[in-house]
Amino acid sequence: MLQNMWSVFIEKKDLFLGLLLEHLEISLLAIFIAILFGGIVGIIISEFQKSAKPTLGIINFLYTIPSISMLGFLIPFSGIGNATAVIALTVYALLPMVRSTHTGMTNIDPVILEAAKGMGSTRTQILFKVKMPLAMPVILSGVRNMVTMTIALAGVASFIGAGGLGVAIYRGITTNNAAMTMAGSLLIAILALLMDLILGFIEKRMKKHSVKAKKANRIMSITALLLCLAMIGGSMLPSSKQDTIQIATKPMTEQYVLGEMLDILIEQDTDLSVNLTQGIGGGTSNIQPAMESGEFDIYPEYTGTGWNMVLKKEGLYTEDLFDTLQSEYRNSYDMEWIGMYGFNNTYGLAVRREIAEKYDIHTYSDLKNISKQLIFGAEYDFFEREDGYDALCKTYGLEFEKTMDMDIGLKYQAIDQGKIDVMTIFTTDGQLSVSDVTTLEDDKGFYPSYLCGNVIRSEVLDKHPELKDIFNKLTGIISDDDMARMNYAVETEGKEPREAARAFLENAGLLK
Amino acid sequence: MKKAIEFKNIKKAYGNKVVIDGLSLSVDKGEFVTIIGSSGCGKTTALKMVNGLIEPTEGDILVDGENIRNKNLTVLRRNIGYAIQGSVLFPHMTVEQNVSYVPNLLNKKDKAKTKSAVSKWLKIVGLDEEMKERYPSELSGGQQQRVGIARALAASPDILLMDEPFGAVDEITRGQLQVELKQIHQKTGITILFVTHDIGEALKLGTKVLVMDKGVIQQFAEPKELLSKPATDFVKQLVERERRTCHLPDDRLNDCEYSGASCAAIKE
Repeated sequence: MLQNMWSVFIEKKDLFLGLLLEHLEISLLAIFIAILFGGIVGIIISEFQKSAKPTLGIINFLYTIPSISMLGFLIPFSGIGNATAVIALTVYALLPMVRSTHTGMTNIDPVILEAAKGMGSTRTQILFKVKMPLAMPVILSGVRNMVTMTIALAGVASFIGAGGLGVAIYRGITTNNAAMTMAGSLLIAILALLMDLILGFIEKRMKKHSVKAKKANRIMSITALLLCLAMIGGSMLPSSKQDTIQIATKPMTEQYVLGEMLDILIEQDTDLSVNLTQGIGGGTSNIQPAMESGEFDIYPEYTGTGWNMVLKKEGLYTEDLFDTLQSEYRNSYDMEWIGMYGFNNTYGLAVRREIAEKYDIHTYSDLKNISKQLIFGAEYDFFEREDGYDALCKTYGLEFEKTMDMDIGLKYQAIDQGKIDVMTIFTTDGQLSVSDVTTLEDDKGFYPSYLCGNVIRSEVLDKHPELKDIFNKLTGIISDDDMARMNYAVETEGKEPREAARAFLENAGLLK
Repeated sequence: MKKAIEFKNIKKAYGNKVVIDGLSLSVDKGEFVTIIGSSGCGKTTALKMVNGLIEPTEGDILVDGENIRNKNLTVLRRNIGYAIQGSVLFPHMTVEQNVSYVPNLLNKKDKAKTKSAVSKWLKIVGLDEEMKERYPSELSGGQQQRVGIARALAASPDILLMDEPFGAVDEITRGQLQVELKQIHQKTGITILFVTHDIGEALKLGTKVLVMDKGVIQQFAEPKELLSKPATDFVKQLVERERRTCHLPDDRLNDCEYSGASCAAIKE
């Protein structure tokens, strides 16, 4: 594992380095704002004690909101990406900051404060000359906690399309690359420790009183400040060019591959540049709003999902409804479907090949007569869902000998070992391409259709008609098997999504 | 003689609890008034009224003939030195920064003047120049008290308020500090209000002693008079031991049954 991690890390040094810097930028920005804002709030509520309780109450409440919901909640306001991440991180960083400032400021020996007052200091002078310096150790220890926490929490930010090391973790999880996940996590831990060490050093330096040490402190702090400013300044520089196509993908292996394909082809065939944001957490529910606000221009989507989740239609989607789907997208959202890849990522049933051959099974209906001898395996939720096991059995008149609940990752192993005979699958499961199973035809149309295509904002397509050529080239070129094989290459063989995409395009003769 | 401080019919009550009742008193310029009484008698309260840290419920305080209700308290406080019990130096400041605290509040610009004032006062309270860079935590209790006095005096105030400033130091150091304070008073002619619970200290330092009990003045007189003519039973009880403390050679100690008056004479 360690070796794996190391080799992943070496292989993708540039990626990790970029993510590390981005991680640092996002968290430092949040930390900086929290120190400033939280410090000021902390000072205000300790000067006006009556406001302390309600303020701390509100901040406490914000703190208890789970980070995922906080991010989701912010998306409608600040969109997808770094801004939302920074806001969310700042909100979480506020509590420790405000609290430690308040504690530090209110726990100063009142006798000292009375002495200061008795000597003729104004309230402001007491605040700046006495209270703040005396509260500094407590505030600083609060800052230390807050910094470590923020850096760790920034890992979650990739969930909403922000950068940082969370991207590595999330990508590792969705593409079944444990080494990548571990490398990302480890880097976050190291970064947090390092920052804590630096702050510990600062704390120690601040306790040093001698004139010489103070001079050195001043030089060091000025240098550090300049470095931070340079970094923040660097990250603030507008980096978005005019003609950049913003592409988003959902957190699924095949979407990563599709995203890379679009990136490769658009940059190869047009003058446009592409900014690819892979694996937006929450998928459609977060990408669609960002498309509506114009943050993203294109993303790969499935017809059935668009029908149910975006258009919020009840009932089963079949491809007969595609024209309705298309026109409603145009009318309601000014978006359209283009470049249907050809594969259908829907639910399906697979039978071990020897059984399929023995009984000559091709469709779900063929199962009817022998289902009593077969063991059926599926994930836990399939047995609970309304459109799950019971509905399936009812539609096709099936009655299995036995059912087994199992984790999605173990199904393929179980069917290979003969522990189950029939199982639910996704039609583009990577494992499908190497397993000894036969996929059956849903002859009564029990499952909706999930053909994969791209949703694009019509405005973008009008402005850049050259994109149409690219989508034409991509139309109908990927079969279920092709997609399953690419998924397998990424998830099991450990290929990069970009490699898999490139290899496929090469094969299809689309690379120049 | 001009009055430095006047209390006019002062009453202080917290809710129903009356701490000071009908206190009227005037302190001449250059007087060293020690205030003594049992704890809770209102002596610290009376002291803190002079620089406006506590506001009287009724009555007026006049400083230099002006009612402090009409004065800017911050400006008033800067012209009144204030030293209190225990280590109340600012722990995050060096000795020099502590002593120059009030001068810096008054005039930030004139650094040279402040610097020389610091040096002057450190010398007067008997501290070495090299102490300037030290922090309070690096000083002994006695040294801290000295810095506290220097800090209170650094802006050359006309009035100095001291609240049991020597309460936390050992007997030997206290003796030295008392002598030094007495000398400072004689040299500068500053008006001092000095709260203590030690009758020996009160008699030794004060040119006048104010005895308070339950918020009411028992006696306000010179130490000699206090010893020879205690005005109330409370005062009598208070000075009983001091009256019998005889500073006589061994062979005359037997003559010393009621020698309080003579004791005071020797002290003078």
